[in-house]
Amino acid sequence: MKRSPLARILFWVAVTLIAAVTLFPFYWTVRTALTLPRGVYAHPTAFLPPELTLGNFERVLGLVDSATSVRLGGSGQSINFFIFLRNSIIVSTLITVGQTFFSAAAAYAFARLRFPLRRQVFGLYISALMVPGIVVLIPNFVLVKTIGWLNTYQGIAAPAFLMSPFAVFFLRQFFLGLNRELEEAARVEGAGRVRIFFQIAIPLSMTALTTLAVITFIYSWNDYLWPLLVGRNEAVRMLTVALGVFRQQGAQNVPDWAGLMAGTTLAIVPTLVLFLALGRRVINSIGFTGFR
Amino acid sequence: MTTAAGRSEKLGRASVRLHESGVALLFILPSLAGFVVFFVVPAVRGLYISFTDWNLLTPPRPVGIANYAALLRDRDFWNALKVTVFYVLWNIPLQTVLAVAVALVMNAAARSSLLKGVILLPWLMPNVVVALLWLWLLDPTIGLINVAVKALGGPLLPFLSSPGMALSTIAGINIWRYLGYTALLVFSGLQAIPTEVYEAARIDGSNDHQTFWRVTLPLLRPVLAFVVVTSVLGSFQIFDTVAVTTKGGPINATKVFNYMIYQQAFERFQMGYATAVSMVLFLILVGVGLLQMKLLRAGEVET
Amino acid sequence: MSRTQRFLIVGAAALLACAAVAAADPVTIRYTLWDSNQLPAYQKVADNFMAKNPGIKIEISQLQWSDYWNDLQTSMVAGTAADVFTDHLAKYPEFAAKGQLLDIEPMVKADRVPTNIYLTGLADLWTRDGKRFGLPKDWDTIAVIYNKAMAAQAGITDKDMNSMTWNPDNGGTFETVLRKLAQDKDGNNGLSPSFDPKNVVRWGIAMDYSNFGAYGQQYWSSFAASTGWKFTDGMYARSYHYDDPRFIKTIQYFADLSRTKGLMTPYEALSAQNVGSTVLFTSQKIGMVLDGSWMIGFYGGQTEFKVGFARLPVGPVGRRSMFNGLADSIYVKTTHPREAWQWVKYLGSAAAQNVVGSYGAVFPAIESGVQAALRTYKERGLDVSAFTAQALEKNGTFLFPITDHASEINSIMQEAFDSVFLGKASAADALPAANQKVDALFQ
Repeated sequence: MKRSPLARILFWVAVTLIAAVTLFPFYWTVRTALTLPRGVYAHPTAFLPPELTLGNFERVLGLVDSATSVRLGGSGQSINFFIFLRNSIIVSTLITVGQTFFSAAAAYAFARLRFPLRRQVFGLYISALMVPGIVVLIPNFVLVKTIGWLNTYQGIAAPAFLMSPFAVFFLRQFFLGLNRELEEAARVEGAGRVRIFFQIAIPLSMTALTTLAVITFIYSWNDYLWPLLVGRNEAVRMLTVALGVFRQQGAQNVPDWAGLMAGTTLAIVPTLVLFLALGRRVINSIGFTGFR
Repeated sequence: MTTAAGRSEKLGRASVRLHESGVALLFILPSLAGFVVFFVVPAVRGLYISFTDWNLLTPPRPVGIANYAALLRDRDFWNALKVTVFYVLWNIPLQTVLAVAVALVMNAAARSSLLKGVILLPWLMPNVVVALLWLWLLDPTIGLINVAVKALGGPLLPFLSSPGMALSTIAGINIWRYLGYTALLVFSGLQAIPTEVYEAARIDGSNDHQTFWRVTLPLLRPVLAFVVVTSVLGSFQIFDTVAVTTKGGPINATKVFNYMIYQQAFERFQMGYATAVSMVLFLILVGVGLLQMKLLRAGEVET
Repeated sequence: MSRTQRFLIVGAAALLACAAVAAADPVTIRYTLWDSNQLPAYQKVADNFMAKNPGIKIEISQLQWSDYWNDLQTSMVAGTAADVFTDHLAKYPEFAAKGQLLDIEPMVKADRVPTNIYLTGLADLWTRDGKRFGLPKDWDTIAVIYNKAMAAQAGITDKDMNSMTWNPDNGGTFETVLRKLAQDKDGNNGLSPSFDPKNVVRWGIAMDYSNFGAYGQQYWSSFAASTGWKFTDGMYARSYHYDDPRFIKTIQYFADLSRTKGLMTPYEALSAQNVGSTVLFTSQKIGMVLDGSWMIGFYGGQTEFKVGFARLPVGPVGRRSMFNGLADSIYVKTTHPREAWQWVKYLGSAAAQNVVGSYGAVFPAIESGVQAALRTYKERGLDVSAFTAQALEKNGTFLFPITDHASEINSIMQEAFDSVFLGKASAADALPAANQKVDALFQ
């Protein structure tokens, strides 16, 4: 598409602005992560850290012992970073796979299939988006405990595994917007709904499905309260929850800023990698019109 | 729309319906099961609890509509309503407009996955860390933003320490966090628009500006409706940022619904009352959701 | 060998084997705490305990402050709370009232555990109506923490710092010290007639307004109490005294200090949650701060300048510090009450508290533990006598006020303090109204 010079300038201004506003806090995160805690407290506004150190990362990765950790400015504790990383990967993948697939099936039904009470059931699904979290939190916790799934991966994943109103809503909107002609053609040729779903609808919606999968993965990666309550044990504790060790240790303490920023930097890496890997896939479906 | 396909569908509708119900059930069953077990059952139980006095640790005591009567008289409740509505008004219009703008930029830079990665970075951070990070950056005395403003000769900006600015600041923090994600959703909708449509518009003599308003935007309607509806619903339920930064202050200026409910449930052990407030919030959201769906005609699709 | 004999021998062997297996199966006691700084200390205590009690395994887990209470309460609802958990004076009355804590008084009596070995007053804080819900494990007091270099530069000696006087009328020598420390943007200090209170770049002191709550432990409580004022008339009282003229005067003094005199950082100039006065102090934007002994390690190790710990200012009736302390409570639904009690008993003993003290993270409730802590602090070059002297001084401390409805009282008073320190209301207007609301809770 030919673009006017004005449009081009506007474009670059926009890109610069977006990048600056988005990236600056990240710069700050990394800068703090590389600063000695003492330096963070003494020079909170210094653009460049006065004394660079990898000590915070060492503490987060559990590479130093208790005494060294204290000397480096942290508490006496180090965290089992890789175990928590593993737990987060397992739980997030579990949730993503289950939720994306089952929600796609339900969304397709709502978008394409005719059955009684379709509108009402869909409305009911959407109403779940409106239930404040706290109402379901405690009953779900008691339920998971009763099944005996406390401190297990399946316990953490359970509520989100089979469905999410958000996912169903998102995919239904997408399926609604899909061009019907390919599906109609297949129907005329006598293909069943299930076959159409797997062989036509899903391939056509890879963009949306991938987007949803990425969103779901990141959302479950960063989920806090539920994994905190259900995944208490170190064996299943997720990374985001484990980073809590760098927050205030008492009612009136300060967070371990340097450690927190180092932990955050490391915690973002897996999701960033995932996104960059799949992001390319999203781009590669540019121009696919879904027709012929 | 009466194509041949449409007519034949009408004729065979009865039998199709029956057959499709079975298939539909197959498609829906797993998510329906999850929905019933993890949403419906707790929500119904919640409804029951809202008519009791329950401190979480001893058995609930039925009290009829006492909780609901109490919340109508509760200054905290009306304050939460006002604060939450204002927050949504600060947050959504701005975020949606920015999201569409950013999505357009992403569309124009379609080949660069770098830009996409950059835009999405804020969303990769846990909510709690984002709040802490901005708390630091926005600190009135030692935060970099204020230091820069001061250096340029500007006034002190209290941000989260001012009853007047705190709420909009929280909205700002959330916009920063969610903009990339919202833009990504809109972007995926933009991607689904076939290029032929743009070509046809160009052939018709439409310029970029007209194309956007008359072609792009209407075709984006389902996605935009989705984005607005979920964003509004999500905004009504904001919690983490408030819990970390202002704890509802200063002088209750940021005591949004979810924080008030959390306080009642976890700090005052008034689970019955907290659930009653949640139910009212739920009704408000249903109303808001329905209104939006109607206004945005989310169920329909332009062809 | 007859059949009977063989039978008896085999039977006896089987019984012995069973007994051996049963004895070998350790009971696991789950223990939780929130302060990761104290985790190494308690792990060592647990190791010592387990060596002495091979049948009991202690499993320690830690969650940071706000997660800790969310998790505890939710797990209480589900009946899965930890067997023994660190408890807090502001929270335990609610748990006790709702029957979540095991009364350990019978066990204390049965095992003849002495309760007079703790610093005065601490043990009683954990009792109500003849029941006991914990044995004290540590305590804290408040002191002045100041920037030695900055003070010296401003012409304030250590002796000056340690002998400040204060009163709510003219602020005493405390205010003089603040004036020497404060600086406006032209470099005038607070004593200069051209000091501009509206353009201050360095204040004397700061307080975290949004953290005041109802008790202002490390903020105004010392000052208010030093006028002779008391929060309530005793434990589990049913009314407060926030409408007392001495208290109103004290609060108004500090409001004026920040809003008109320019000597204390005003509300709009700091984020109290998570950042606040602590970072202002470390980045040298203020000269001193009042804080609790739990922060000794932080101030001692995380500043780029030398830090001094000074005595609180002497008020109209003397020096007063709030005396707070933690204890470990047993969850009422624990499946191993006997073993849980063994652990709690050990935690309340000198053996455990000496170890905790030696790690230098907190002052244990038993005198010998305090000595251990002092030795560790001395090794680090920290003179913490300001805190300990306050604890040991006659009438030097007053107990953390314990009543019901702590959470609501916190909200009511926080709102009142917010409006006073934001300059939206005077103390004389806001505080009596708030006190009325507080007292109404007990009707």
